[in-house]
Amino acid sequence: MLSKPRGRGRPSPHTDRDRGGGGRGDETPSTSRGPGSAQETPGSSWSLSASAPAPGARTQKQLELKVAELVQFLLIKDQKKIPIKRTDILKHVIGDYRDIYPNLLKLAAERLQYVFGYELVELEPKSNSYILVNTLEPMEDDAEVRGDQGTPTTGLLMIVLGLIFMKGNTITETEVWDFLRRLGVYPTKKHLVFGDPKKLITEDFVRQRYLEYRRIPHTDPVDYELQWGPRTNLETSKMKVLKFVAKIHKQDPKDWPAQYCEALADEEKRARPAINAPASLLNSEMGSEGLGQGSGTQRHRAKE
Amino acid sequence: MQGSTRRVGIMTDIHRRFLQLLMTHGVLEEWEVQRLQNHCFKVHDRNAAVEKLEDFINNINSILESLYIEIKKGITEDDGRPIYALVNLATTSVSKMATDFAENELDLFRKALELIIDSETGFASSTNILNLVDQLKGKKMRKKEAEHVLQKFVQSKWLIEKEGEFTLHGRAILEMEQFIRETYPDAVKMCNICHSLLIRGQSCETCGIRMHLPCVAKYFQSNSEPRCPHCNDYWPHEIPEVFDPEKEREAGVSKSTRKSLRSRQH
Repeated sequence: MLSKPRGRGRPSPHTDRDRGGGGRGDETPSTSRGPGSAQETPGSSWSLSASAPAPGARTQKQLELKVAELVQFLLIKDQKKIPIKRTDILKHVIGDYRDIYPNLLKLAAERLQYVFGYELVELEPKSNSYILVNTLEPMEDDAEVRGDQGTPTTGLLMIVLGLIFMKGNTITETEVWDFLRRLGVYPTKKHLVFGDPKKLITEDFVRQRYLEYRRIPHTDPVDYELQWGPRTNLETSKMKVLKFVAKIHKQDPKDWPAQYCEALADEEKRARPAINAPASLLNSEMGSEGLGQGSGTQRHRAKE
Repeated sequence: MQGSTRRVGIMTDIHRRFLQLLMTHGVLEEWEVQRLQNHCFKVHDRNAAVEKLEDFINNINSILESLYIEIKKGITEDDGRPIYALVNLATTSVSKMATDFAENELDLFRKALELIIDSETGFASSTNILNLVDQLKGKKMRKKEAEHVLQKFVQSKWLIEKEGEFTLHGRAILEMEQFIRETYPDAVKMCNICHSLLIRGQSCETCGIRMHLPCVAKYFQSNSEPRCPHCNDYWPHEIPEVFDPEKEREAGVSKSTRKSLRSRQH
């Protein structure tokens, strides 16, 4: 019936022979993979191009193509809001180009910033996992022209983040549900907008690194504590969250002096780039040039 | 073709926001793209005149070239309306789908695709697709589940459903034309007028050449005696109307207006 020869039609990108990464003839070699790491098609790789020749013998075009693959990989992975692990990058994209991995990553990061306005940032120093942080300010009207409706759950996240901050940066799960119940959100009941709030808060947001969820020892019945996760500090700030909370209450952020002071201090820390630049790519992968270990403080929870 | 001497443009925050928001869509109609462009200009530079859409997109594409992606424009096969999608230039596979669907789901799509390409009408019946469920790679899928997956394809605009039959959405054609032409060179149909991939269209009953409906509309526009461009035999099919964005907008105002427009078709 229908034969499936591997075409050689396109002029430029396929200068070499067969696809690398062990893709078989009729396997969709380029990007045949299931969602999430649970399903790995055997022998598949994220390859747009031929397998790499020996290091040193790579053409400009091949390098360009590799960077392009990497950019696409990072964009698509970040869509799911799961941090991208270095091991995945190496396995699915870099492959034989391992020796120049830091260069490729740097070039990809530059492209992501210049073309799309996304900064490639390491989630926590030495974690070897990355997220994309938007350098453009989100606008309210963006929602009208967006194609995805991923936003409803963001409301719930913002509420929880606000709650955590206002209560001193840590809160128990019991307290969270006591509060949310008043808004008609229950851990055991399906919610019209949020679906499964318990799963969202204790699993999804945690996996996306917006929240930290830890068991409190010696509690009976078992209780958990919730805190801001590393992604939250990268994507928003205490001041922004305080302003959000103030807006909901139709008040001024200064009406909460303790939190306001804390938020101000946080703003000052962020403004001092030398010590507190986010652990961006250029620091971690390329070696920090005098920017030191200071980036660590930004990631950790601020003290009271 | 690639690596041309095209002058590379400059990215500003207007272009970046445009790209970011564009990427949240699988495919857009022209008026939606225009609206998106207007929004981005409004956010970043209220005073600047909104650049002509074609130039705006060409500018962005000149920069995207080195990343082997582009904002591609096409037209829908049923009524010729312009659509846009961000497509991969270097891959010859169903890459964008691969991230949203499991292995067996992708294989289901591939099976449906093959049936569609093989068919005379460009449609594959639900029954025929579901009968192939046992042959799918990956996790075993039951017919009931496959029905849901097919609906997922429709919702995410990879397939169109009409009365229990499935055909390719304009988005799929935009993204996969190259792949389809390379993978199924003997089975694909081409349009005699525009020379691109044809899934659905009209064909001459004498000599067999095919044309897209919008290509037919354009070619035979205001021609009272349409004849096959290849064998000159009388063209036996109803000639559709050329897509007119102005008429679309009017039709959006009241449904009754649209009805009267339709009746004008011969």
